Amino acid sequence: MAAPAVLAPSPRGQTEIVLRGQRIPVVLPSRSDPRLRLSAVILTLHLLGQTVLGFKVSIAQILVSIGVGALLELAVTYRRQHQLVWPASGILTGSGVAFILRASGTDNGDWWSLNGIGFFVVAVVLSLLSKYLIRPGGRHLFNPSNAGLVWALLVIGPSQVFPQYLWWGPNDLGVAAAYAVILLGGIWILPKVRMAPMALSFLATFGLLIGILAASGQEFVAIWHDGPVAGLSYWTTIAASPEVLVFVFFMISDPQTAPRHPLGRVIYGATTAAVAAALISFQPTEFGIKLAILSSLIVVCALVPVIEHVSRGLARRGPEPGDGEPGVVAAAPLVPPGLARRVTTALGRPAVAAAVIVAVAAPVNTAVLAGNDQVMLIERGLTGEANAQ
Amino acid sequence: MDTFALPSAKPTPGRHFLSGLGLVALAASALVGGNAFAWRDQLMGSVTPAARPAAVSRGAEGPAAVPAPTEPAETVLSSQPWWQGVAVLEGVGPASSEPFTVADGAIQWRVSATCEGGSVTVRSPSGDEPLIQGTCGATDVGYGTDPGPMALQVEADGAWQVRVEQQVDVPLVEAPTPAMTAPDTVVAATGDFYRIDQAETGSVTVYRLADGSHALRLDDFYVTPNIDLEIRLSPLEAPGTTEAFLADPSVEVAPLDVTAGSMNFAVPPEVDPSEYRSVVIWCPLIDSAYAAASLVAAA
Repeated sequence: MAAPAVLAPSPRGQTEIVLRGQRIPVVLPSRSDPRLRLSAVILTLHLLGQTVLGFKVSIAQILVSIGVGALLELAVTYRRQHQLVWPASGILTGSGVAFILRASGTDNGDWWSLNGIGFFVVAVVLSLLSKYLIRPGGRHLFNPSNAGLVWALLVIGPSQVFPQYLWWGPNDLGVAAAYAVILLGGIWILPKVRMAPMALSFLATFGLLIGILAASGQEFVAIWHDGPVAGLSYWTTIAASPEVLVFVFFMISDPQTAPRHPLGRVIYGATTAAVAAALISFQPTEFGIKLAILSSLIVVCALVPVIEHVSRGLARRGPEPGDGEPGVVAAAPLVPPGLARRVTTALGRPAVAAAVIVAVAAPVNTAVLAGNDQVMLIERGLTGEANAQ
Repeated sequence: MDTFALPSAKPTPGRHFLSGLGLVALAASALVGGNAFAWRDQLMGSVTPAARPAAVSRGAEGPAAVPAPTEPAETVLSSQPWWQGVAVLEGVGPASSEPFTVADGAIQWRVSATCEGGSVTVRSPSGDEPLIQGTCGATDVGYGTDPGPMALQVEADGAWQVRVEQQVDVPLVEAPTPAMTAPDTVVAATGDFYRIDQAETGSVTVYRLADGSHALRLDDFYVTPNIDLEIRLSPLEAPGTTEAFLADPSVEVAPLDVTAGSMNFAVPPEVDPSEYRSVVIWCPLIDSAYAAASLVAAA
């Protein structure tokens, strides 16, 4: 029989658990950890989703996703560090997956339904696999929950899963409360992780480009809307969607996968918006548009090393104080010497090859969705009682 | 450190193998994610049926029955199941009927018989029990489910006629009738369908034919399937709800037995479409206006 676990302070003052005579350090969450704030915001939105926003996800699906994420991260961290570390990222990943992923056939109010639970588990596992296995440079490249969601939505497909709608409901108190939570959450979290300029850069670029698409007559169909969404509705539904705000404030703002240089973060936000708008431009369905937004982050995360390098180069080229002319090139060129050779060498490494596969397949497969008859039929409600959404 | 493994792991031959395996799995999942070779549909299923050729006429005789398109359109849409004529068989006394074919995709098929006098018995080649066994003048109907080519065995005292129909759920894509394309025919009004209570798509055209009668055609039409739907004309310009539609009296044009495709309907002679401003798909079973199209008079 195993000796009971004992939670006790170590001689150095650190909390430890004693198991079979072995002291295992326990790292509890810090109140200053922004991930705690993020968890609080997302869980509040989950609560609103269950009660007033009609989210088609069950409490059981949310809890299982969070549990799988937490357990996996706990296990991996223990194996690597021999510590029991509070799985803040795993919890966020599970929570983020359950926030966006929907399994066909689940309705709001099916609180304890495990319908399609395997899809949630797959998405969370894929998320964490991307985090722990695709690490060129020793740092994970992709936002975990974003990568897992894109891969799960594409591989499992529109007959079984779909993303949370861009439209959360009519402008009533529930949606207003959600906007308030998102905006206050953004104000609470973004300055802490120095991502406010990135968020503004994304929103400005995205708003402009979606406005151009709307003005040029772009439209899309969605299961919740009679007829195509076009004109001003196209802009408001996409650019001002609470779903997009959650994406900007709480997903692409992950400092672990964003550039570290302040200018790089601005470029990163604008580039993500531009890639998203480009992928959206030929999507005729909400399913495709949502995947376009998520896939854009995969593409840009893969470009973060380049953005980092370019932004540092641009910063060094900046104008001298009081001088109207651009400064003299002082240091690293924008394109480093020997780049082609380094790229060729890097592609031979499994982590880089995996990153390339993900970064290319996500946008390409998202683009292919534009011609998928099944998605169009589902979004138009033309598949009768078997409708997946 | 740059490995396809946990950062703390040291590269070993086993890890290299796992890395390769992981890359192959990732590439394969990427192909599934793009639905290459329809792999995703095969693995995860599809909510839509495979594309099938639409029916080209209400009879099963094919394009020769009406001036029809050269090839039936492929479609993934399904209609409310409807009865399509297969054959009208005739004979005298005990006889084997002319052969006919029930389509592979047919849900079921049925036969009804008329005869001059006495009794009639109709048997299918595969059934022990007769499909119909009764006196002439009765309205018995016999049903079968096996598709394919067959001939019926008919026993009767005199001349007989057997009508065979099959139930299908493919859309019906009819060509416009010759009267609709005649030189003196004019388009009286057109409209695009919009949703009221159910999903819809397509357009409607009202024709004033050369003989003064009217006909109505639905193009690329779809409405959520249900039985006993009706095409009705409403004096309202654009009814938005079932309640609004019910507020003014409407008139039935025709039953809508097929809920997907392009179809022609004769407007009853006592109905003047110019007195109405919209076409409504009505479900009397549940008192619901499924969809409507505002009619715009042709210039």
